[in-house]
Amino acid sequence: MKSKFRQELSKLIEEDIISEEIGNRIDNYYNNNSRNQPNRLLTIFGIFGSLLVGLGIILVLANNWDDFSKIIKTAFAFLPLLIGQFIVGFSILKKKSNTWLEASGVFLFFAVGSSISLISQIYNIPGNLSSFFLTWILLCLPLVYVLKSKTVFFLTIVFSTVYACDLGCNFSGIRATPWMYILIMALLLPSYFKLLKNEKSKNTTALLNWLFPLSLVITFGTFLNSSYQFELLIYIFFFGFLYNIGQLKIFQKLRIAKNGFLILGSLGLLITMLLASSHYFWKGNFDYSFVNTKEIIITILIVLPTLSILYLNKTFSKLAFGNLFQYVSIVMIFVFLSHFIDDRIPFFLTNLGVFILGVSTIKKGVDSTNFTFLNYGLLIITALIAIRFFDTDISFVLRGLLFIIVGVGFFVSNYLMAKKMKSNR
Amino acid sequence: MKSTKIIFGLFILVAIAQLLVPTKMIYDQENTLKKGKAYKFITEPIDPSDPFRGKYIVLNYEISRYKTMDTTWVRSQEIFVYLKDSLGFAKIDTISKEKLNSKKDYLQTNVDWYDSYNKELNINIPFNRFYMEESKAKPAEDLVRNSTNLNELSTTYALVYVDGSNFVLNNVFVDDVAIKDAIDAQNKN
Repeated sequence: MKSKFRQELSKLIEEDIISEEIGNRIDNYYNNNSRNQPNRLLTIFGIFGSLLVGLGIILVLANNWDDFSKIIKTAFAFLPLLIGQFIVGFSILKKKSNTWLEASGVFLFFAVGSSISLISQIYNIPGNLSSFFLTWILLCLPLVYVLKSKTVFFLTIVFSTVYACDLGCNFSGIRATPWMYILIMALLLPSYFKLLKNEKSKNTTALLNWLFPLSLVITFGTFLNSSYQFELLIYIFFFGFLYNIGQLKIFQKLRIAKNGFLILGSLGLLITMLLASSHYFWKGNFDYSFVNTKEIIITILIVLPTLSILYLNKTFSKLAFGNLFQYVSIVMIFVFLSHFIDDRIPFFLTNLGVFILGVSTIKKGVDSTNFTFLNYGLLIITALIAIRFFDTDISFVLRGLLFIIVGVGFFVSNYLMAKKMKSNR
Repeated sequence: MKSTKIIFGLFILVAIAQLLVPTKMIYDQENTLKKGKAYKFITEPIDPSDPFRGKYIVLNYEISRYKTMDTTWVRSQEIFVYLKDSLGFAKIDTISKEKLNSKKDYLQTNVDWYDSYNKELNINIPFNRFYMEESKAKPAEDLVRNSTNLNELSTTYALVYVDGSNFVLNNVFVDDVAIKDAIDAQNKN
């Protein structure tokens, strides 16, 4: 890559496009920059090496070596832990590079897990997988701050997601709300904010921008214990909240691909809105015995921050169809209330809402000559039409024609857009 | 340099916590083994596995079903199971919804479900996992099944040390031979 860049540079100098002096300055700039950067490849391999060795140790120890005495087995339980702690301590004291800190941090993370699991094994200590995960996560969480290790950060999010699912979905025989998951996430937030502030454009931060909302989406259901209808409505508020986080100032100058909150929020909103767009959904009686204090508190805790973000972003002063995605979850509160008058009103309004979301996204795509938005908008409308076919009695001919029209719409709009792009150039 | 010292100091605290948790786990177990009374719980094992802690056999205890006319039990309700020794094996003395003012050893656990047809209370016995070397967990299950099939008087029991509410599952025996040794002997034959 570098040699190719140098070749291009010398070509530009030869053809007098840039002066030799400028060429040298550019070359020096990139040389200095790459020298200051730690060896990324080494860091990645270091982390993967530690990950594999750590997991390997857990598996080898899980064999439960019968021939060893209890004391030897106990010594084996502490050995990886002490080695991990020694390497981490050494890396801190000797101010070793980031590669050392990341790799040793990952090793220590798994050493802690193997140590607790082996002790539980030796003494047959009861306890399900979730309590084991919780102890493990809480013992390693400080490493995120002490070592500033991003890999331990990722592992903590992944394992706390597994913990929440195990406890909340009854994988180990006990179903309970994983409240400690919220505490773990809250403890991780300061470090995440710091990364967003100082290392916003880095890929590791972008990965966190995806991991955080993804973990929340996966675990959110474990906090709800209501009927399908209420849970779906709360999910709409939740995705609206995620979408609005993605609209915060700190994320605004980020490339969309690096903004997991925005993409997951948008996709989630679309899917939940489509699910709520059937007449069957609104026709069924809403059973209020399923609404517990927990669900009400969760709804308030989602809706209030959404409203404050909308206020902060001054969305209310520029209400338009164009930014409907931002306030659609709030609008859904009123749509829900309208079912008290007649169940056909929320059915109509939800369908209209999804349609407007589609049209506004297409418009956004056309205005900014962006194919992704244009086709996403078209997909929203296609999805709405496709899903309506399941619960309406439209003749096959009409359905076929509608599909043809939308298909032609895809071709025409993309063609027109391509033409517009050409003329703009 | 100062910040390195602070970070190292913080790390030492984390490391101590990481060492303390497993040490405390060991201390609690050893303490119960030393001070506790040994009970034999008649059981029947089956083998599943845990992704991190390895293979284990699940122990189904005879005392996990308790005849009672009281029907007011709720699933997952906390209960106190008081133990007594009867002909060398552990039996339930009484089950209470509250902690009793008694010096008897007890298990603090919860209700699985109440079988109103048989008037039986099914309880969760907390020490139901016995970890074994991965190659021995399945043979352990087969061994117990075969020995019960061949000889009706054959008994499999778990040796559990109980001290107040603390307990340690020490070993599992098939006709007074440690299950691990029984499998070794079977493999030699």
